[in-house]
Amino acid sequence: MKNLLYKELALVVHPMFYLVPLTGALLLIPQWPYFVAMMYFFFITVPNVFQTARTANDIGFTVMLPVRKRDVVKARLYNVVFLEQVQIAVAAPFAARNNALYPEGNFLLDAGIAFFGLTFAMYGLFNLVFLPMFYKTAYKLGVPIIAAICACVLFAGAAETIALIVPGAAAVLDGIGPQALARQLPVLAAGIALFVLLSWLAYRVSARRFERVDL
Amino acid sequence: MQLLSVQNLCKNYDKFRLKDVSFSLDAGYIMGFIGPNGAGKTTTLKAMMGLVKKDGGRVFVMGRDFDEHEMDLKQHIGFSLGGVDYYAKIPLRRITSVVRRFYASWDDEAYRRYIRRFELDEDKRPTELSGGMRVKYALALALSHNARLLLLAEPTSGLDPVARDDLLELFQELIEDGERSILFSTHITSDLEKCADYITYIENGRIVESRARDELLAAYRVVKGTPEQYSAVSPRLISAKKHAFGFTGLMRTEDVRPEDGLAAEAPALEDIMIYHARKENGNEEPAV
Repeated sequence: MKNLLYKELALVVHPMFYLVPLTGALLLIPQWPYFVAMMYFFFITVPNVFQTARTANDIGFTVMLPVRKRDVVKARLYNVVFLEQVQIAVAAPFAARNNALYPEGNFLLDAGIAFFGLTFAMYGLFNLVFLPMFYKTAYKLGVPIIAAICACVLFAGAAETIALIVPGAAAVLDGIGPQALARQLPVLAAGIALFVLLSWLAYRVSARRFERVDL
Repeated sequence: MQLLSVQNLCKNYDKFRLKDVSFSLDAGYIMGFIGPNGAGKTTTLKAMMGLVKKDGGRVFVMGRDFDEHEMDLKQHIGFSLGGVDYYAKIPLRRITSVVRRFYASWDDEAYRRYIRRFELDEDKRPTELSGGMRVKYALALALSHNARLLLLAEPTSGLDPVARDDLLELFQELIEDGERSILFSTHITSDLEKCADYITYIENGRIVESRARDELLAAYRVVKGTPEQYSAVSPRLISAKKHAFGFTGLMRTEDVRPEDGLAAEAPALEDIMIYHARKENGNEEPAV
């Protein structure tokens, strides 16, 4: 795993994309849909990373190494999961600052603990839609990325709507402060569990599809 | 010791099929894999390495089933699809820093030696290297993890005669200790006349011949005759080209009869390839 991730970070990810997580600073905007801040990851980083890898013939390089064909997919999954976690990790301090600056909260979902749980789930969904669609050809990028972004926007929209209109939902999804922590921690745990499960599923399906692609 | 054995490899595409491709290679030899463009050379190499999903057949490396021991066997294989065609804009130094991590038996000293010998500048990027230098960098990577089996697709195409000769000499040197073997595909038959011990000839997805080079050359004769002689011998010809003064064709040595009165001479590999290809195309008449 270490070597595959090292390969991705040393060759595939241009250092500039480590700046993208700074879009987490958007959490400092008052009264805003905070999911958008987390979406810059797949608006900017994902298409560029996959495009770079395709242009550089990363697959040709990787299959020359002593790895299995499906490790091409595994390496990229590690890469995406790693960058998703960086995005969340960088956003977290901005969320804390947001909570301190705006104790009255946000008219949409607050940048609280549950929000990060939902973000994990959204990234899991992104991985599940995008990776298997992409690795059907390991070449065509456009439709898979659009489909995955649409799925995530719908997911975020649904989460915001449910918090607004379903009675009781706001109690577990919305709110900041110590009393919200206890209610929202299960949402974070469930989000992380979902992220792991969906990413694992994304890898399984992608790897199986990629094995069938004739390079 | 048998380093490589390919058995009944099959792959079906819509308009092309690899049919029961089988051949084997012992340690300490060079095998040339020849055939016209599109005959299936690279597809065979890719199917052997699992890049293309095979529809049938098995591959054994160092006596072990490749599919079962893929990870382990790849540690002993140097594989290149025609030089370095990846990461064109990244310095060699960084590419190497990634590659070396994947090999348990990476030998940094050997790597330095080959880099010096090939006069490679590690600060350069693949895009700044000539075709020959790219092949050499790919070889340096393969040799630095002590690969026993080198599988190279078209390593010599695109190289000038000097660079080609240099590379072929290096191939000879590499197999001298009897530990390594090289299988390389090419459509430049003169390369093989210089250095191959064995020739495997593929035509339209089928192996036509796979044997020692001299044996292969001895098995055929280029024959020349007059138009009157043609009809008597034509069933025995692999194929022939007709011209104003008669014909020139290829025949198996055992089919050459003194009573035919044909002029027979030893073929070059190119002749064997060309006449077999004509037979495959069913094109025995002159193209003009």
